[in-house]
Amino acid sequence: MSLIRALSKELEARSDESLRALFAARPDLISPAAPDFAALAARASARVSVQRALERLNKPEMQVLETLHLCTNADTGHSVSAAGLKKCINGSTLAALEPILNKLQELALIHRADPPATVHNPGRQRFYLPVGSLKDVIGIYPAGLGRSYTELVRLQPAFAQRVVQLVAELHKSGADVLAATTPMDAALALQRWTSTPESLQHILSEAPIRTRPLLNKFGSWAMGAVPQAQRKASVLHEGRDVGPVDWLLARGLLVPLDAGHVELPHSVGLSLRGGAIVDHFTLKPPVPELGQTSAALRRNAAMGAIAEVLRLVGELLYAVREQPVVTLRSGGVGVRELKRLADSLRLGLSETALILELSALSGLLRLDVDSSTWVQPPTVEWLTLPRQEQWLWLVNAWLASERAPSLVGQNLPGPAATASRTGFAGTSINALSAEAQRPDAPLVRKRILEILDELTREVEALDGKAPVLNAEAVMERAEWTQPRMSRRFSSLIRGILHEAEILGLMGSGALTQLGSAIATEQPDLALRILGEHLPAAVNHVLLQADLTAVAPGYLAPELSEKLLLIAEAEGQGPATIFRFSGDSIRRALDAGQDAEAILAFLRTHSATDVPQPLQYLIKDIASRHGRLRVATSASFIQSDDEAAIAELLHEPGTASLGLVRIAPTVLTSAVSPRETARVLRELGLSPAVQEAEPAVVRYKRATAVAGGARPVYTAPRTAPPDDDVDAQLAVLRHHRGVSGDMTGEAATQLGLETLQRAIRLKQAVTMNVVDGLGNSNTETVVPVSVSGGRVRVFDAARDTERVLSIHRIIDVEPAGDPRK
Amino acid sequence: MWNLRAIRASEEAIVSDGPLIVQSDKTILLEVDHELATEARHAIAAFAELERAPEHVHSYRLTPLGLWNARAAGLDAEKVLDTLLRYSRFPVPHSLLIDIEETMSRYGRLRLEKDPQHGLVMRTTDYPVLEEVIRAKKISPLLGPRIDGETVVVHSSQRGQLKQLLLKLGWPAEDLAGYVDGTPHLITLNEDGWHLRPYQKLATENFWAGGSGVVVLPCGAGKTLVGAAAMATSSTTTLILVTNTVAARQWKDELLKRTSLTEQEIGEYSGAVKEVRPVTIATYQVLTTKRGGLYPHLELVDGHDWGLIIYDEVHLLPAPIFRMTADLQARRRLGLTATLVREDGREGEVFSLIGPKRYDAPWKDIEAQGYIAPADCVEVRVDLPRDERVAYAMAEDADKYRLCATSETKTHLVEQLVAQHQGEQLLVIGQYIDQLDEIGARLDAPVIKGDTTVKVRQKLFNAFRAGEIKTLVVSKVANFSIDLPEASVAIQVSGSFGSRQEEAQRLGRLLRPKQDGRAARFYSLVARDTLDQDFAAKRQRFLAEQGYAYRIMDAKDVPTG
Repeated sequence: MSLIRALSKELEARSDESLRALFAARPDLISPAAPDFAALAARASARVSVQRALERLNKPEMQVLETLHLCTNADTGHSVSAAGLKKCINGSTLAALEPILNKLQELALIHRADPPATVHNPGRQRFYLPVGSLKDVIGIYPAGLGRSYTELVRLQPAFAQRVVQLVAELHKSGADVLAATTPMDAALALQRWTSTPESLQHILSEAPIRTRPLLNKFGSWAMGAVPQAQRKASVLHEGRDVGPVDWLLARGLLVPLDAGHVELPHSVGLSLRGGAIVDHFTLKPPVPELGQTSAALRRNAAMGAIAEVLRLVGELLYAVREQPVVTLRSGGVGVRELKRLADSLRLGLSETALILELSALSGLLRLDVDSSTWVQPPTVEWLTLPRQEQWLWLVNAWLASERAPSLVGQNLPGPAATASRTGFAGTSINALSAEAQRPDAPLVRKRILEILDELTREVEALDGKAPVLNAEAVMERAEWTQPRMSRRFSSLIRGILHEAEILGLMGSGALTQLGSAIATEQPDLALRILGEHLPAAVNHVLLQADLTAVAPGYLAPELSEKLLLIAEAEGQGPATIFRFSGDSIRRALDAGQDAEAILAFLRTHSATDVPQPLQYLIKDIASRHGRLRVATSASFIQSDDEAAIAELLHEPGTASLGLVRIAPTVLTSAVSPRETARVLRELGLSPAVQEAEPAVVRYKRATAVAGGARPVYTAPRTAPPDDDVDAQLAVLRHHRGVSGDMTGEAATQLGLETLQRAIRLKQAVTMNVVDGLGNSNTETVVPVSVSGGRVRVFDAARDTERVLSIHRIIDVEPAGDPRK
Repeated sequence: MWNLRAIRASEEAIVSDGPLIVQSDKTILLEVDHELATEARHAIAAFAELERAPEHVHSYRLTPLGLWNARAAGLDAEKVLDTLLRYSRFPVPHSLLIDIEETMSRYGRLRLEKDPQHGLVMRTTDYPVLEEVIRAKKISPLLGPRIDGETVVVHSSQRGQLKQLLLKLGWPAEDLAGYVDGTPHLITLNEDGWHLRPYQKLATENFWAGGSGVVVLPCGAGKTLVGAAAMATSSTTTLILVTNTVAARQWKDELLKRTSLTEQEIGEYSGAVKEVRPVTIATYQVLTTKRGGLYPHLELVDGHDWGLIIYDEVHLLPAPIFRMTADLQARRRLGLTATLVREDGREGEVFSLIGPKRYDAPWKDIEAQGYIAPADCVEVRVDLPRDERVAYAMAEDADKYRLCATSETKTHLVEQLVAQHQGEQLLVIGQYIDQLDEIGARLDAPVIKGDTTVKVRQKLFNAFRAGEIKTLVVSKVANFSIDLPEASVAIQVSGSFGSRQEEAQRLGRLLRPKQDGRAARFYSLVARDTLDQDFAAKRQRFLAEQGYAYRIMDAKDVPTG
């Protein structure tokens, strides 16, 4: 019976409970709803669906499934029971295997089958077969074991040519191997020669030293890289100092695949593992050896990081408001623009990129399509929130984001990337560009946080200590819990841990209380913890005679903003230092403030007296502010001070202005007033820019664009909603079609299954194919391979190979099928 | 790298309201008015360099040299991190903690030691580090054969150079190889009517315990006495290197007054006189005189068995002296200075060749104890008259500063100020000789400049000290090491551009404590809207950062008459 039919029957016989469990574990099966059990079975057997299901299996489950795959043969109906599997899995017990087999069956990855003909007294044992597409999904090296000699002979023409001679040489040298005349016989002879651990042991007893360690490298994966794999190696011309690779190649214990790779054949690998497919089996995940850090240090690091990230995001928003971030034509923010931001944040490039990405993914920046710049939305609720809520906003947005900020600055994969060797140069990933998009990032993030939480709970820490979790420990655990998915972790994991550290979810290398609250989806708990520990904002500064104002802590945002207008920020850390200078005071005066207002503001917000030099500076600059006037109409410079005019005229720095003295007190300039004023200021003068003409007023687009909404994070849901499951069950239970009648989806899958089976058994099929004109023809051909929506067939009638699109095939039956 | 092994801090150790704010840019802010401020300052002074000390918030900087200085003084990373966490008001940036631990762990992985069999050897506790430095191209020629995995012979003549290069590589060596004894020569302090101040005693003890190194004391705090005390402790023949002849004479006078040394025991080795006695005072200039590509006077340094070498004003040490010092690593070296900041950035060489900082006292502490006079700095802004402004506007760049600095209005103002401070000991300091001559003539005061002979200089200085001369006009020759304890007012009419060091030195002239406890007054005359004002802004920042009270006033507000 077809595997899909068998599965369909089995699914139909299941209880609703069991089906619900299946749908929860494999939500893709009912999205969209399946019309009947046949379609459901077809979907469950489809390659993509099986692939997804395998991603959720842990290491022992995968081991059992791979072993089951190796021990069975659907074509001959050779099924296997738990007892049969136990023999192939070292260290396993029936008690351990049975629940796993039940789970796999529940997941519709394997199904019950009749006992094989060789078993005469099955008793109460249950026998299983895997679903059809498992072979494709698992790949050519199930359980890391290679292909058999016969398969290699069939697929590797070079080996097929060589194998007869190789066996003959072995035979001649006295090895216990039968002589053979055809490649297939030779392959069988080799298979027999290496079939048991004892025989392999015997063969290897004469091997040169270093052979064992070399073979051990093939322990978990059958293929390996070897230089000049197709070298000539013969038992007959072997010297005493033969190397291990030559020795193994000469005996066919390694089979060359191409110029650089070799494969360890199935029987050799199996014998190396002592005859068992899995040589180490345990239900307990490995617990890594981890360092410890003190809880105080962890909190210090996390709280420091949080204060820092909030401050930096705030500063970035301020910088963007002053000047929007320009994008490149190819998308993303270029290095020059990033450098500008980095300078204004007083940060390194990579940290700046992270902060920029974080702000953008949190919706605090918006891409203005008209100008292709990143701007701040008109209203940003974030700025008005208490700091712990600001933090949660960032964390939620980060959890849900499909961007991987840490990829920014890394080299793009691909041939072009090899040209550039240095960090940001060449073809590296730009900030806010599409290349840093990773659709599975939320899922990976969630898993990593879960693993961090798991490990933190499992590892015993001393009093007041917390385990330090590194990328390796997380990776090791990920490889155990989801071996098929772990590869996707590897490129993101370091970045995610770094980002978690920046957000205070980790501190000093350990998961913080905040991190564990977030990992277990308790944002309120996190808010409460943070609220207790974040210091309150300060509302005063300390003014000093060296013309600085020091804010001893986190300064209230509105105060900080006003101070930034009259002073430059300096330094980096929890406290900010504002430095007053002639330029900064002038800036404030240009913005319409006067000396008294500035002094009054400082007096109100200073915890100390305004020092005399600062008072003097402000009054001095203000009294002279406007001594020079620059007008728009003719762009002239006027001053009552003739000496100043003379000074200007002879000043080499004004050469670019093309100054002409039109009166003792007036100069004209050839460039715009703004530029003129800039040059004058650079010379340390203090011109007032006078807008004589009504300036062109630029109206901004009035349509209000909503600011980024507060992100609400919902963990990536893996189980489908209950309503969908109920609806699906209703559909399935009501559709009481004949289960043998395969239509729609099921028919396609069934057709593919028929083709694949025919390929394996080299049988001919009869298929109904539609040609380009819409006419259907019935043809009998031998399929050779199926992939990418196309099937390659051998047409015996025309003695040629052809490629057909699968969607053109209406119907496919094994040739000579009685129903035809 | 995540694991900070050194930290033992428990939750309780962290007070949330400490006086320190640790910034991620490696500065530490100290709130001076906090009740724990003094305690915290003493705790961090050992490993952080005081950078700015204005009235309310002082800032310290963490540098590798500072951290290694701390290691040399026996402080480990654990204590440093503990201190930061204990006194910090906010969480300390974690990356900084890691950085501190890593930097500090670099010191002392290599040690220079005396081996009874092989002589001078370099030992390591960390095999890869030794491998790394042995492979460094510049270092390998300085090393002898390898004794075992952790030890390598060092050519003893290369001890200084090796230390210098190791510091550049970031693996500063701990020098435990000891010193030669030198020729014994009994010297005792003559504590008659005066006593070593507690901080001078402590500085001497710290220096002696450390073997070699630098003592940092503010101007006027009595560095000469620390030198004398070190000589008394050593009781060996001593070589003292000073900046100029007048300073040499001053050292001699001071030593005669404060120690058992007699005229016959102290020699001067300068351009004029070349005497070698048990205690010899030499000028940098004579040692660095080059004739035919050779230093003829170098023999003085390495041809005698000195037990102690004192470097006065270490921050001015010229490069050739560094080279000589590299060969003197087996002798005890004491550096004296008011500031470790060198305008040429060669602090690293002071560290590796003279030695780590052994004592440092913030001048505020010493001022508070009454050992130096408080200072009041006043910047007076003068408006240039019209013709001078036009001249200034049209002048070449090279002449601009001279034009504005030597404005005639300043001369009038000096007269006004002198009149205001009638009866006080007053110095007028300037850069341009013409200007000084004119002022001298107007005030009827003697002028000391480069071409004044040493004899005349000493005579004038003595008369000034005795109060016979009330006003003295000096050029930059009087910047360093001249002790004029009674000067209480200084008027700076022009300076060498914006040099911070010069400013500190000039101010230092005023800081010797006054008998009546008056504050010293330091005027700077500045021409408004000119280069002079730009330079003044730099000096103002520096002085304010040093914590001196600073005011700005307009010339028209100076009382006339």
